[in-house]
Amino acid sequence: MTRPALRDAALALAGFLVLAILPLITSSSALIDFVIRCAALGLFATSLNLLVGYGGMVSFGHGLFFGMGAYSFGILMQRTGMPIPLAVLLTLCISALVALVVGAICVRLKEIYFAFVTLAFQMLVHSMIIAWVPVTGGDQGLRGGIPRPAFLGINLSDQKQLYLFSAALLVLGLLAMRHIVSSPFGYALRMVRDNATRAGFLGINVYRTRLTAFVLAGAFASLGGVIMSLFVSGAYPEFAFWTMSGEAVFIVMLGGTANFLGPLVGTGILLLLNDFVTRTAEHHGLVLGSVILLFALGLRKGLLDFVMEWLAARRTRDAATPAPVAVKGTST
Amino acid sequence: MTKTPSSQMNRRAVLALTAGAAGVMAAPWVARAQAKAVKVGMPTILSGRVAQLGTSSRNAAQMEVEKANAAGGLAGRAIELVVRDTKGQPQEAARVARELVNSDGCEILIDAEASTGAFAVHEVARDLGVLCIHSNSETSSLTADPKLKLPNAFRCARQGIHDSVAGGTYAAEIVNAKGLTRWATCSPDYAYGRDTTAEFVMYLKRFAPKVEVVAESWPKIFQPDYTESITKLLQAKPQALYSCLWGGDLTSFIDQAGIYALFAQMQFFAVNMADYTALTTVKNLPPGIHSGNRYIKTFPATPQNAAWGDAYRAKYGEYPTNWAWQNALAVNFLAGAAKKANSADGKKLAEVLRGLTIESPFGADGKVTMRADDQTLVDYAVGWGTTIAKEPYVPEMKSVAWQRIFELEAEWKKDKGFV
Repeated sequence: MTRPALRDAALALAGFLVLAILPLITSSSALIDFVIRCAALGLFATSLNLLVGYGGMVSFGHGLFFGMGAYSFGILMQRTGMPIPLAVLLTLCISALVALVVGAICVRLKEIYFAFVTLAFQMLVHSMIIAWVPVTGGDQGLRGGIPRPAFLGINLSDQKQLYLFSAALLVLGLLAMRHIVSSPFGYALRMVRDNATRAGFLGINVYRTRLTAFVLAGAFASLGGVIMSLFVSGAYPEFAFWTMSGEAVFIVMLGGTANFLGPLVGTGILLLLNDFVTRTAEHHGLVLGSVILLFALGLRKGLLDFVMEWLAARRTRDAATPAPVAVKGTST
Repeated sequence: MTKTPSSQMNRRAVLALTAGAAGVMAAPWVARAQAKAVKVGMPTILSGRVAQLGTSSRNAAQMEVEKANAAGGLAGRAIELVVRDTKGQPQEAARVARELVNSDGCEILIDAEASTGAFAVHEVARDLGVLCIHSNSETSSLTADPKLKLPNAFRCARQGIHDSVAGGTYAAEIVNAKGLTRWATCSPDYAYGRDTTAEFVMYLKRFAPKVEVVAESWPKIFQPDYTESITKLLQAKPQALYSCLWGGDLTSFIDQAGIYALFAQMQFFAVNMADYTALTTVKNLPPGIHSGNRYIKTFPATPQNAAWGDAYRAKYGEYPTNWAWQNALAVNFLAGAAKKANSADGKKLAEVLRGLTIESPFGADGKVTMRADDQTLVDYAVGWGTTIAKEPYVPEMKSVAWQRIFELEAEWKKDKGFV
């Protein structure tokens, strides 16, 4: 294991320990619910950033995989009652397979065409969910709750155990994605983003690189869907609707695309804003819209990108300014 | 020793700090005294296209809460209504419902959500065991399907199956009297539209076997342009048209169909017409539309119902909606149950709610019942009538006997495997 990989693993472990200690410090159910939702949407948004930030592929249909994760997991649990870890693994495989098919068509396209064809696939899957009533429950969603049989002594019907499970999935998912973007494949993906023609001449298979990123992003988005389906104990067509993809794009814009943890920061901001503003203001859409405008027009980048650039600029300025030299016998 | 201005400031600061500290120390006691109120959480839709319905739910419930509090609240404890917007998203509905219970300390939920949100809140009620009254979801399976049954969840709203039996019965009488055998349907393309239309046609054909459906049109929900549906319907030349379009979709359809003089060529049966939101929005309301009652202050034709409609209008400057009376009734049921149980405890209220009958302006015979076996509302006013272009909009509503609804509902449940 390389030193950066070891550092990332240590940071992930520390992050998980902090999250694990949190319920011991506070008994706030709202905080526990907040972290579970953060885990679901954080994984979803970070997976989108694999495409947007690292791959230069702005997908408007990423909600497809979030919905796919929620529905696949929910249907598997309701119909087969298999152990939860197996259902999660199968869900990841199903989503990756669907991503392979969708990606095989989409990643050949560029920019707006890519965005619109991914959106078209999402709407196709959304329509299938609505129409395939016997399996999906149609527009009423998967009803009757998702069974959560205990495994390895873990009972996900208990909210605190679900919290720890979600936190573990979040940390493991983020660590895996971090490893991907730090690997040679991650650098190849960035090179394809910056100049696909040059990358091609250097021997990188552009199509395969983009497709691999698309499949991986789809699988991680579906993991977010699994957590959300456990949180609401169901799956609903809204999870696979275009507004879900729009929410992920907002999150990425709020948090920033240049830093790996930007989307997670964006998730925290959006959920905090949403929860706080909907409690206090009737016209919360107006407030949320204004904040997003502030980020888009004022900062012109995500919060984490802005902070990191500001810190970097400050370090550069400090390094450039010569340290004052004390001269004996003079006073100021 | 002279006192400096700074020392005076210090004393003031000390006094202020002492007062502040006393306030902080006293806060838990004050809070405990206030906590005697029973908090009732209401997740509902206050933004987006159906915000008007959510707002009317909140208004109606608040109006009844004020009345209940004036009469002693729930077993002596005042009711405090805590209303939150869910934006019509199921994940928000689940989140808000959990937060209302876990963070805001709500002991009871009145789930004023549309159907998808209601199913999400139902699962929260299952998880948390909190008393939950669904007040807006009309999807029959929510309470009819035994797999979904919870001891702590009730429904205080009309139901699709009840409306379909009533509509089929009423329409069959007109069919047999006027010989309307060629029918067409035009309903929104989602579960509610498809299920409700199928059930209406099933009962219509059962009571009037000569009926044949010659055309079906399924516009998308929230579709702005109905030209394609209208021309399809005109080409099929049916004698009667059924629709369960609702809200803005229904008013847009009527306004656009009016341009093609569609209503001069066929009888129109629109189950969701007789609601003030639709009646007052249509630009030129054609006379003679057949409609089921949603909420109208002239049906049931009792002074109590008229007084309730007028009181709501006087307080909020608009007429109530179908969602309004259901939420008002949910609060009435809570008050009635608390009176009987002499308690505001959720479990005790749930026990008493099963089979509870209360007097109500919305009852078919002045009373409504929370049926014990499936914990759902029955005996509310169900009727059909024809519209005129001005108030009272539907001068005569024909009631449908509940005994008939019960018989056919029982058959339907058997067919669905619910019993």
